[in-house]
Amino acid sequence: MEFKNKKLANDLVIVGEVNKSAKSSAVGFFVKTGSRDESKQINGVSHFLEHMLFKGTKRLNAFEVNEAFDRTGAQFNAFTSEENTVFYAALLPEYLVEVTKLWIELMRPALKDEDFNIEKNVIKEEIAMYKDLPSFDVMDRCRSLHFDNHPCGNSVLGSEESIDNLTAKQMKDYFLNRYAPNNMALVFSGNFDWEQVCSVAENLCDKWQKQTAARLLEHYQGSKKKQRAEKPNLNCEHICLMSAGVAGQDPRRFAASLLAIIIGDDVGSRFFWELVDKALAESATMQFGAMDGTGTFCSYIRCMSENVGKVLDIVRDIFEKLSKSGIAEDELRKAKNKILSALVIKNELPIGRLVDLGLNWTYLKQYRTVEDDISAIKAVTVDDIHSLIEQFNPGDFTQFSIGPEQ
Amino acid sequence: MTQRFDKHILTNGMVLLGEPMEAVNSVAFGFMLPAGASRVPDGCCGAGNVIADWIFRGAGDRNSRELSDALEGLGLHRASSVSSSHITFGAALEAGNLAQAIELYSEIILKARLEAEQFKLAKQLAIDGVRALDDDPRQKVMLKLRERFYPKRLGRSTLGKIDELKTLTSEKTKQIIQSNFNLSETIFGVAGKYDFEAIVKQIEDFFETDTQEVLEPVVPGSKAGKYTHLHNEGAQVHIGLMTETVKPGDEDYYNARVAVSVLSGGMSARLFTEVREKRGFCYAIGARYHGLKEAAGVMCYAGTTPDKAQETLDCIIGEFNRLGEGISKEEIERAKVGLKSALILQSESSSSRAGAIGGDYYILGRVRSLDEIKNRIEATSVDSVLGFLRKNRFGDFTVVTIGPKEVTVK
Repeated sequence: MEFKNKKLANDLVIVGEVNKSAKSSAVGFFVKTGSRDESKQINGVSHFLEHMLFKGTKRLNAFEVNEAFDRTGAQFNAFTSEENTVFYAALLPEYLVEVTKLWIELMRPALKDEDFNIEKNVIKEEIAMYKDLPSFDVMDRCRSLHFDNHPCGNSVLGSEESIDNLTAKQMKDYFLNRYAPNNMALVFSGNFDWEQVCSVAENLCDKWQKQTAARLLEHYQGSKKKQRAEKPNLNCEHICLMSAGVAGQDPRRFAASLLAIIIGDDVGSRFFWELVDKALAESATMQFGAMDGTGTFCSYIRCMSENVGKVLDIVRDIFEKLSKSGIAEDELRKAKNKILSALVIKNELPIGRLVDLGLNWTYLKQYRTVEDDISAIKAVTVDDIHSLIEQFNPGDFTQFSIGPEQ
Repeated sequence: MTQRFDKHILTNGMVLLGEPMEAVNSVAFGFMLPAGASRVPDGCCGAGNVIADWIFRGAGDRNSRELSDALEGLGLHRASSVSSSHITFGAALEAGNLAQAIELYSEIILKARLEAEQFKLAKQLAIDGVRALDDDPRQKVMLKLRERFYPKRLGRSTLGKIDELKTLTSEKTKQIIQSNFNLSETIFGVAGKYDFEAIVKQIEDFFETDTQEVLEPVVPGSKAGKYTHLHNEGAQVHIGLMTETVKPGDEDYYNARVAVSVLSGGMSARLFTEVREKRGFCYAIGARYHGLKEAAGVMCYAGTTPDKAQETLDCIIGEFNRLGEGISKEEIERAKVGLKSALILQSESSSSRAGAIGGDYYILGRVRSLDEIKNRIEATSVDSVLGFLRKNRFGDFTVVTIGPKEVTVK
């Protein structure tokens, strides 16, 4: 593995980790923008814009873009979160230059009105699709409740209303500011020639203009509100719990990940033994989500209506016990084993590595090898976890549930 | 670099397969046992799902908790699954712990404690899993579609049926384990970093037995019908559609795969272009090949708001029908490069290779090399794909919808 990086005159950063023994390569643009960077009036624009980038440029229409990708056999896509928009492709090394050129071209889209209007329908279909996925819907609504007026509570998809009201002009203004070279990184992993991809990027991106692309960073402890919504067509109770966690820049993020595994991994965790193993909940998991300047512990529990009361009592007990008695050395050891092996397996694929490389650069402006992360995980102690529990008290959560009519 | 495969057959017929991968430090393995949904007796739909939970609740000297602790101590990621034909107990982990993992899995398969108290819990979870399916219409529509499309037994829900799960007893489930954990028909696949000789020795010690009688082959029954609608006051109509095509062992298999790719391989494929890009009917739209040993089909999903459901279905069926009328050389080339590149990308993952070699062996009786697959894809052409479509026209669609509005299958 060899790490490379370069900053162009307009501050566009190019980052790469070369692995000559890989059979494939991966390339991605990591744009530091998402729903938290939106105002209420334009909520959903980041995600809509991600769709619009595939609609073409001055030179290519949408059909030509799709054909150009498919001619290379690349597996390509994009995703938008509260704070990142990532465009990526996994492909055979011989097509890397071609696909890199294509991504670069797409980063300067035409944003035509007719495409904007037809894609609005697709976005509204996506919103409708997630409404039929209560496991997703409940987390989205819990996040809004947890973050209250903090921008991290903005929905990634936006609402039907905000999408209806959004204009192409608002999108263009947002684009101009957020897709500035100083607010994005071009990332490579797997098998590739660094000099070659660098010279492609230098030639094609040097006209991009720097902008001021700021982000409001503020930690938020969460509203701790509790709410429930009903949907007559549902069969189960879907419960989301959210509490504050450390930020993506915080060295304690490794301890936070381990704590989430101990409480809520899908097997062998405290949630598992108390809720799933006993058949009280069909699913009960917790994840730590590191964000820019803040973070969350987020649990999702799905159970039958008749078990809701019992399940919530047990959840309270689990957190109380955690605050009072902490964790055992052996629990930490098992959690470490799980995270370490998952890390190794994920990073064997260039596309898995790309995401870590890109996000590390976005959050830390730093290159970390897989070995750096392994050492950091190994170094976490029981005391580290205890001080995290003390400071963040994951039992003091915001709660949102969706279930059938009572 | 030539690809190498390892193979060993125990005297009882159990097959061990391996594919070494030099670039990885992980290893993945799976035991495929002939206890899938179509192989269990009538009236026991969902037994596989219960078994997949129950047998992890204690084995040999270890109770449920101790067993789980031992598995986690290895940093092992479990991957159990129930298909139409098999239950697969698999895992991915760092290569250093492989021997201990195989030992634990062998105990789970051969010496599971199968306690009645634990059965109740496993069964309750399986029942709740089926009830939870109502809250996930997208997954439900595809399970219902298989049930309706495949001849009876083959398409049985792998999750199960509530009424049949409710009457399932621990004794009956034990019997199923006894007869269906048939070692003479079990396939073990491993890929990644491993020592095959050591694995053979270890598995022989555990699994070598007298030869067992071969299980009765599945006799497919009749099909369930053309169109089914399940009412649900959701936001979208979820459409599942399936039509028959050639099986994986057929000489036209690769023509079928390329044809499906022209229809729905990448974003430039026909369904995405016509349904989403030109008309904005859907966010999620796609079709894929779905093959069992006994039957195969092209399976399509679309989710759309009620007002657009009919037009969406008409547009999809129109594209299936239109495919045989003509395909450009560029479309075929894009389909081929997409299939070839997906093959190579998957070949970097030990989990996906362990699954692929086991699946190949079960369906074809041998493991295909990546070169063989590449060459067969390469050998297809506009003429061969159109020739295939003329002989095997897509038609006789099975359609299932879940949502607030019905459609008409024309």
